[in-house]
This record gives sequence, C-alpha cells and structure tokens, in this order.
Amino acid sequence: MTAQADTAVYVYGIMPGDVEFEEQPTGVGTPPSPVRLVHYRDIAALVSDVNVSSPLGTTDDLLIHEELLDASAAAVPVLPLRFGAVVANENVVADELLEPYYAEFSEALEELEGYQEYIVRGSYVHEAILREIMAEDPQAAALSGQIRGADPAASREGQIQLGQLISERLASKRTLDTQELLDTLADRVGMSVVRSPGDDYEAVHAAFLVEATDADQVTSAVSDLAAGWEGRIDLRVIGPVAAYDFVVTTGPSPGG
Amino acid sequence: MTTAVQPGGGGGRPQPSGLADVIDTILDKGLVIDAYVRVSLVGIELVTIDARVVVASVDTYLRFAEAVNRLDISQEKEGLTDLVGDITEDGAHGKAKGALDAAGEKLRSLTSDGEDDERGQRAGRSSRRSR
Repeated sequence: MTAQADTAVYVYGIMPGDVEFEEQPTGVGTPPSPVRLVHYRDIAALVSDVNVSSPLGTTDDLLIHEELLDASAAAVPVLPLRFGAVVANENVVADELLEPYYAEFSEALEELEGYQEYIVRGSYVHEAILREIMAEDPQAAALSGQIRGADPAASREGQIQLGQLISERLASKRTLDTQELLDTLADRVGMSVVRSPGDDYEAVHAAFLVEATDADQVTSAVSDLAAGWEGRIDLRVIGPVAAYDFVVTTGPSPGG
Repeated sequence: MTTAVQPGGGGGRPQPSGLADVIDTILDKGLVIDAYVRVSLVGIELVTIDARVVVASVDTYLRFAEAVNRLDISQEKEGLTDLVGDITEDGAHGKAKGALDAAGEKLRSLTSDGEDDERGQRAGRSSRRSR
C-alpha cells in the first residue's frame, strides 16, 4: 500500500484510442485535474484524478461529465459511463475494465461508428393545452364550471376529479404526440427510445440514434413538426450527445 | 455480459420515473461501472441531486384544477394569463426544477451548433487523429 489512497481515478467513458483533445480540458472534482486517456490496445478510457475525500455531484461536475463525453462523441464513437464511476487507480482502468471487456467494448464502438444521439423534447404550452382539453372534454368543462366560485374547501373532491381528468387527457395527448414524433422520424433514425416525461406538461421526450449523414434531415423534420405544433408544443432538439440511451450492459457477468 | 448497442429503455424493461432534465441523462443512462469493475471500486460521496420525479398524485391533480380555474378567470379578464404559468409550480418543486432547468438550458446552449466556442473552452475540442 502506497500513500495514494487520497487520490482515485474518475472514469467518464470508453472510446477509440486515437481521439485527441485540442486543449487540455479539466475534469470533475474539487480541485479539478486534467483529463487523460488510459489506453489498452486501440481503445481507451477517458479519466481524470479525483480527491476521494471531496464529494462529487456539483452542477459543474455534472456539466463537465456530459460536456467531455459530448465533445468526444462529436468526433468519435463513445460508450458513456453513468456519472460517479470511480476506481482505485489507472492500472485498474486498464487491467480490470478495458482488458477483460475489450472484445465487447470494441464491438459496441464499431456499431456506434458514424452514429450520434439526439434528444427531442417538447413541453405543452400550459394555457393552450388546458384550453384544448376543456374544449374537447365536456365533463372537464362541466366540472370546472361547478368548481369556479365555490368554496375551495367544499369543492376539493371536484378539484381532484377535474385534475385527474386533465392528467389522463394529457397522458393520452402525450402518447399521440409522441407517436407522431416517432412516425415522423422513423425513416431517418437508426433506433429510438421514448423517455419518461420529466414534468406535468411534458409533451414528447425521446432519444434517437442518428447517422451523422442524416442529422440535417432529422433536425429539419423536427423543425417542420415544431412549426406545425407552434403555440401548442414548444419543441427542442438536444444534441448531438454521447449515446447514453443506446449503450446498455446486458446478460450475466462472468463469474457471477 | 455484453455491452450492447440497443435501446436502453422503453421497449424491454419498465422505465424508472422521469427526471426533470437532460442533465439526468448522466445519472440514469450509460454504462454502470459496477457491472464491470468490482474489487477496485472506490466509493465517493455523491452530493444529493434534487431531481423532480413525476408521480401522479393528489397534489398534481390540485395543481391542474387550479390552473384551469385561473384559466377561466384569465378568459374574462385580459392580462392575467401569466398566472397560469406561475401557479403550476409550487415552492419546493419549483425551486428544484428551476435549478435543473437552468442547468439544462446551459447544457442545451453548449450542445447547440452556435455555441461551440464555449464548449471548446470548457470541455476541450476533440478530434480524431488520422490513422
């Protein structure tokens, strides 16, 4: 045991070994250390040193983790690790991560070559969508009429009923609008994942694996959709980002 | 074990509750180190991240009902439409979401085409060496 116990190695992700950073970026942690690559054959892990006694997870830490991987993913295929991966030292990265799983990491990187992830996310314009629901749903409109002007305490049951109705209608709209998004992009993307809604008024939230050469087509198709939904759904595209939604560890691990 | 390139959710297993913004991508998605390295893992304390999880609850319902109530008022009196936006976020939730939204906003600007400079400064541009 040497006196290295206060420093450990944070691992961001795995990528081809021939990636190069123009400037020397720094990583997560306080104080941050420069990031570097730990190589094994033709693949590498992006890492930086961290102090084991200072907690991770500040806003900066989160942003840096994502930025480093997204910046890398703009140039090469990347297998992103979930935030918070820390191992004892650099040797562990090579000997216990890259070497034993070299074949599967290589294969996954090969599959990702030329693809990037885009996230499409849209929120319902609150007032517009509520008016739409009230116009479409006589029951909701009637409930609303009963509640208005009534003693709030006395109308609590009615309010819950109305709110539940709206919640259900929003869920149906979310399903329909998400399907429209998926249908619109179906011919232009490799794979897609529908993400769980992040808030009450979320309309669509999905991740797409897009071939780099199709990226313009995808963003322009989303723009057309956004134009059609204007005033009803605020739509945005996030990306390209590392393929967080499309890399998964599956199956039993060797040795249990 | 295989590291597969395939949809990591939605199709096969049930998704966990949705989280507030894209920042949660890195807490919820990607490869998990524990699946590969066991012995030499180092536990570092992670600061609790206050992410908003959507659970349909009475609180949610009451917020919707209140939003509709305000909506009706705003139809009668012009200029009150802003209230619809304001009342749908109550104190604690609104605050947590605000912080995440701000982070997400920054992230979005960093990942959009026009902001490559800032991104380059913080994260470093990467490129591929010619082989």
